[in-house]
Amino acid sequence: MSFRGPRDDRAPCVLQLSDGNRFVGQLIGAPVKASGQMVFTTGMVGYSEAMTDPSYFGQILVFTYPLIGNYGIPSLPRALELPIPHGFESDRVNAAAVILAIDSPETFHWNSFQSLDTWLKQQGVPGIVGLDTRHIVHLIRQSPNLLGQVIPEHSRGVRDLGSTLTKVSDEGFFDPGQYDIVAEVSTKERRLIGHGKTRIGLVDCGVKWNILRQLIERGCEVELLPWNTDLSSVDCTAWLLSNGPGDPIRTGGLRRQVAGLLEGNRPILGICLGHQVLALAAGASTKRMQYGHRSHNQPVYQVGTRRGFITSQNHGYVVDDSSIPDEWEPWFLNANDQTIEGIRHKSKPFRSVQFHPEAAGGPRDTGWILDQFVQEVTT
Amino acid sequence: MPMRAELRALGRAPKVLLLGSGGLSIGQAGEFDYSGTQAVKALVEQGCEVILVNPNIATVQTNPEPHVKVYLYPVEPEWVEKVIAKEHPDAIVAGFGGQTALNCLIALHDRNTLAKYNVLNLGTPVATLKMTEDRDLFAQKMREISIPVPPSFAVTSLPAAEAAAADIGYPVIVRAAYALGGLGSGFASNSDELAALVVPALANSPQVLIEKSLKGWKEVEYEVMRDGEGNIITICNMENFDPLGIHTGDSIVVCPSQTLSDDEYQILRNAAQRIVEACGIVGECNVQYALDPFSHQFYVIEINARLSRSSALASKASGYPIAYVAAKVVLGHDLLELINPVTGVTYAYFEPALDYVTIKVPRWDLVKFRGASRLLGSTMKSVGEVMAIGRSFPEAIQKAVRMVTELGEGLSAFRTSSEAELEAALSQPTDTRLYAVLNALRLGWDIEKIHSLTAIDKWFLANLREITTLEQEVINRARQISATPDDEHLVRKVFEGLDSNSWRRLKMTGFGDEQLAALVLHAVRHGKKIAEKTVQSGSRIVRELRKQHGVVPYIKKIDTTAGEYPSPSNYLYMSYVGMFHDQLPDDGKHSIVVLGSGAYRIGTSVEFDWCAVSCSRELQKAGWRSVIINCNPETVSTDYNSSDRLFFEEMTLERILDICELEQPTGVVACMGGQLPNKLALPLAASGVRLLGHSPETIDMAENRSLFSALLDKLGIDQPRWVAATTQADVDRFIAEVGFPVLVRPSYVLSGAAMRVAYDATSLAQSLAVAIDISTDHPVVISEFLLGAREIELDGVAKDGEILTSVVSEHIENAGVHSGDATMVVPAQRLYVETVRRVRRAARLIARGLNLNGPFNIQFLARQNHIKVIECNARAARSFPFVSKVVGLNLADTATALMIGNKPAMLRLSEDDLPHVGVKAPMFSFTRLAGADPVLGVEMASTGEVGCIGRSFDEALLLSLESAKCRRPRKGILVSAGPESEKLKFLECAEYFAKTSLPLFATSGTADYLEKHGFKVTRLAWPGEAKGGMDVIRAIKEGLVDLVINVPKALQSQELSYGAQIRRAAVQFGCSLLTNMEATIAFSQALARMPDFAQVHEVLPLPAYRSQA
Repeated sequence: MSFRGPRDDRAPCVLQLSDGNRFVGQLIGAPVKASGQMVFTTGMVGYSEAMTDPSYFGQILVFTYPLIGNYGIPSLPRALELPIPHGFESDRVNAAAVILAIDSPETFHWNSFQSLDTWLKQQGVPGIVGLDTRHIVHLIRQSPNLLGQVIPEHSRGVRDLGSTLTKVSDEGFFDPGQYDIVAEVSTKERRLIGHGKTRIGLVDCGVKWNILRQLIERGCEVELLPWNTDLSSVDCTAWLLSNGPGDPIRTGGLRRQVAGLLEGNRPILGICLGHQVLALAAGASTKRMQYGHRSHNQPVYQVGTRRGFITSQNHGYVVDDSSIPDEWEPWFLNANDQTIEGIRHKSKPFRSVQFHPEAAGGPRDTGWILDQFVQEVTT
Repeated sequence: MPMRAELRALGRAPKVLLLGSGGLSIGQAGEFDYSGTQAVKALVEQGCEVILVNPNIATVQTNPEPHVKVYLYPVEPEWVEKVIAKEHPDAIVAGFGGQTALNCLIALHDRNTLAKYNVLNLGTPVATLKMTEDRDLFAQKMREISIPVPPSFAVTSLPAAEAAAADIGYPVIVRAAYALGGLGSGFASNSDELAALVVPALANSPQVLIEKSLKGWKEVEYEVMRDGEGNIITICNMENFDPLGIHTGDSIVVCPSQTLSDDEYQILRNAAQRIVEACGIVGECNVQYALDPFSHQFYVIEINARLSRSSALASKASGYPIAYVAAKVVLGHDLLELINPVTGVTYAYFEPALDYVTIKVPRWDLVKFRGASRLLGSTMKSVGEVMAIGRSFPEAIQKAVRMVTELGEGLSAFRTSSEAELEAALSQPTDTRLYAVLNALRLGWDIEKIHSLTAIDKWFLANLREITTLEQEVINRARQISATPDDEHLVRKVFEGLDSNSWRRLKMTGFGDEQLAALVLHAVRHGKKIAEKTVQSGSRIVRELRKQHGVVPYIKKIDTTAGEYPSPSNYLYMSYVGMFHDQLPDDGKHSIVVLGSGAYRIGTSVEFDWCAVSCSRELQKAGWRSVIINCNPETVSTDYNSSDRLFFEEMTLERILDICELEQPTGVVACMGGQLPNKLALPLAASGVRLLGHSPETIDMAENRSLFSALLDKLGIDQPRWVAATTQADVDRFIAEVGFPVLVRPSYVLSGAAMRVAYDATSLAQSLAVAIDISTDHPVVISEFLLGAREIELDGVAKDGEILTSVVSEHIENAGVHSGDATMVVPAQRLYVETVRRVRRAARLIARGLNLNGPFNIQFLARQNHIKVIECNARAARSFPFVSKVVGLNLADTATALMIGNKPAMLRLSEDDLPHVGVKAPMFSFTRLAGADPVLGVEMASTGEVGCIGRSFDEALLLSLESAKCRRPRKGILVSAGPESEKLKFLECAEYFAKTSLPLFATSGTADYLEKHGFKVTRLAWPGEAKGGMDVIRAIKEGLVDLVINVPKALQSQELSYGAQIRRAAVQFGCSLLTNMEATIAFSQALARMPDFAQVHEVLPLPAYRSQA
């Protein structure tokens, strides 16, 4: 005998972890298998922003906040167009799958177009609800590179990653760290967005739309560049090295190209993966962190001041503080674990930050970094 | 940054003056013991000497601990100035004592006291405080930084208010400036309603605001902290379940917000940061917004540049110790250098990530106030609150309702309103609207309809519907198998075949075991009363069947990082939305569980939190692992550092057993948290839990009137005659024997709930109806009601039936005033030595007879030397902190030491040796309760208390009455003395009042009487009978008097008498009000003997507790 509510009709779905743990919850979204690296976010809002963030490509995203989907999903545009709508950081869900405790089958927010479940189905992305997300976070914290598989009871195919990786991810545990996944999320062709006197060359490693919004709002014209563009062929006033997924050393020739930019004097701003690539290009090294930063509440402070900022972060690699070359200096440090959160060149206009000054989701305390960058570039 | 340069430059420990909030009242309650206690701890930790001014003797913060000097004085500039003159503090901190402390700081600044004594104001500057309190200045500031504020006009007269309202367009909201808890505020839909609000508001406040009404908008709050370096953090946000229009203190509040998108969340967060930045706040600040439910449009409503009820809630909801950190920030430390003590691994500079949902539900006791309106609006009315933590919304809200109602049936217990009544109940918010929503859902009303009536966000409604849907499934199943006549069998049959997924679904949706059993029983035995015992045995079956499926709650930590980092946090809750327990560190100790008080309400307040905290600390000192269970966010006991493990959980048998099964405690202390845990003691013992202190037999004998009475008879101790009536014949026989008046009450009485005095057959019949309705398992007790007797209390600690220490205190009012509303004095002042001897002797016999083994309190009546016993509480009593602090011996500590087998020294004490006298006075909140008659009776009505010490009774009395807002008259006195006997008594005071040369006014009967006895009085007409001349209400309104003495004719009168109108007017227009003649006599005598008391009095600190070593 059982009580069956509408949600109890959902199919069972297994989460198999590479450490041997196995949990059974209920499927939401598309009935397809998925595999990837297990990561989490502790942000309490901003789930649609997180799921579409290209940095989560190849990762199974666990939400620690137990109630996800409360305010629904806005209407998603088919492609990147102006004005770029809020609520999304790319035109698709990039996370391989999502894990959460409880979703909202109905939504009522004025800006909601559909429910999380419906959206995931439409996007061909599986999710599991009903799991002990807090416990899974403990497991992720304990294993340096925990991988997972999402296996619906009657799966119909595999999560389409839009490339040959789809097949790879169908064969056991997919470890995105083993592949050059930046190629998967970077724009395929160069294009100009926005109108302005100043053109920013944006090296797209999987850029979040909010970086574009922020630059365009500040009066810039952005040339979106595939990650492997020959940068010497680009005509721009300044460079922005974007965020993106994966291990910074798996960015092919980008590091050497950026090293070339460092010979010149055009301003550069690196964000997240872009920060790590910039550091590598400058001669520093990166390493995997014991506890990655996966939240909207990361405190950083500007070196040499008592001034702090709360930032949005999502990274498992970090620039090794002992490897920073002499011409460079730490710009920001993390207030909790003192890891590098930003570096800058002592004399040239090059700087980068590990956190997301563009936010979305998360706090917008460091938008001034973009202000400063744009101001410097335009004057 | 280290401490501020001015403090460092001293080269010694800085002396810091900390202002408390005074007696608890509606709008300013236990949360300020939390914030003050944390501030004291933080200041002492940073090496400060703390001077605390707070007359709230029942608080934890007023414990005279090392480096803390406590002054039990009114938080008023004259008295604080005296303390400053004596102590010469280096700095003052006012952000932890509510609006009272801030108002006092502003006054001290304006009187130039701070400059004169060179006292540095730490925290937000006075100019900023004034700006945030003056809505015009605030609005102007907000416009400067482009933060939208609702259209608003400040006015100082009624015509100006009418003009402003016409300009904005009705409906408008009226707000009084400089007011705590939204006093004198409300909505007006037309000019009549406007006048009704504006006139009294202007009597209390120089300025009133007329604002655009934003009814139906979302109400959202942000808690922000800013340090001296300009670093700002947002500790959390909170969303009101109820839309704007209900005072946030009366709203159900959800933390974090549930229906806001990232954009909305961040827009409001950014605005909050810009506001505190622009205002230059240092320390904690609360920002309240109205958010359009259909766009990103918002308005900032107000900010509170201090610790507040919301910040206390935010602190408990997020796990971030806001008050503790804020105290260090005002000393000059920055957030980047302070470690978050809850995690031990992160810094104070970060924003908590929650992985659960918390819901605050207010506790109203509006039924306790005769005549009080139950409508909720912009004036706060609740007297307490609970907070529930869960991992689903239904789980949390169901917990919260069980916490606040203290009914195991929780939300399922309310199924009364008819369809016709529902619409009104939904559209006009009252204290029961949540239940009306549930009832509407049960009737199948759709969410749209309920939303259109309530404007409650549909997401919340959809979540509530999950509860009623499942409830209906249980009911359907019960009705399918209703054949069995046996209750237990029925419950078993219904739940037996249930699969584990269904069990999990039920529990994840928040249903309690008792609730499920009751649902089944009510569904099948409709209309029939079901005994509490039957429900409880049903709940045991539910528990057993459920556990067979392995469906149990899991322990989860509140660690402020949502598990991102490992944390040693000891702040715990339980949830069914999970599959694993969080790992708890093993400290190698054995647990003792201390049950807290639950929600504050009339009759249970900070005094029981003081007892629980004292007990927990004593357990820790003795090497035990102290485990506190409580659900009240306004408490010190729920602070992260008051215990070794804190379960912020419901105080139900089910949950306490869950915790005991996991903790395997050596024992459970149920005698420190007041009546709620005391009531759970016997069921816990019956479930195999070992109680520390009194045995279950003792508790039962003390609580069960028949057993207790039989004991008194056996011991030869007199008691008021009584009967436990189960039939009308019993009642009639008793009345024939003792006559009227009589006291009617059910067993297990708390704060006079359902206690009534019956003066005649009619009122007796009414009282019986109420009493029977409340308790079906216990007969109604009717007892003789003695008039004109003294009331005496004895508080003590016993071991194996022997009293080890005890303190006798005396009520100033004669018997008939509830002991919680009485003015008490220690040592007793007017008792015969022989009376005290008899009281002590009777207490010794009772202790032996009950075999008392822990803290206790006995109440006596005395006429001449003849004493009668009213009752014995086999638990710590409300008076414990008061008597403990006055005599210098912490009775709660002593009791705890005894319960765990230690033997404290220094137990014998004699009140006669005390160098001072202590007086405790009740604190009332009638100003907030529109319509309520401010009169004392057997039902308790006070919301708090104050206690002061003085070199004499007069000193202590004047101080404590002033702390309770009863001041020396300066304008005029109005007396309306009621019955002849009271008029006669008043002659004693009339002499004094005549000498003051203040005008003396009286109503006609009293005037006749006074004139006959040679006093000169001005006669005032009753309301409406003045024919254009001065009537009594007008005299009050126009400020001709500032002391009103009105003794009601008879306590039984329920109609809105002239007396009630006078009392209401007195309260509303800020007069001191006395409704008891003994208290009036004591007050006038003290005033007469100490004509220049305030000028000559030399302030006296509370001596430290005597050493127990």
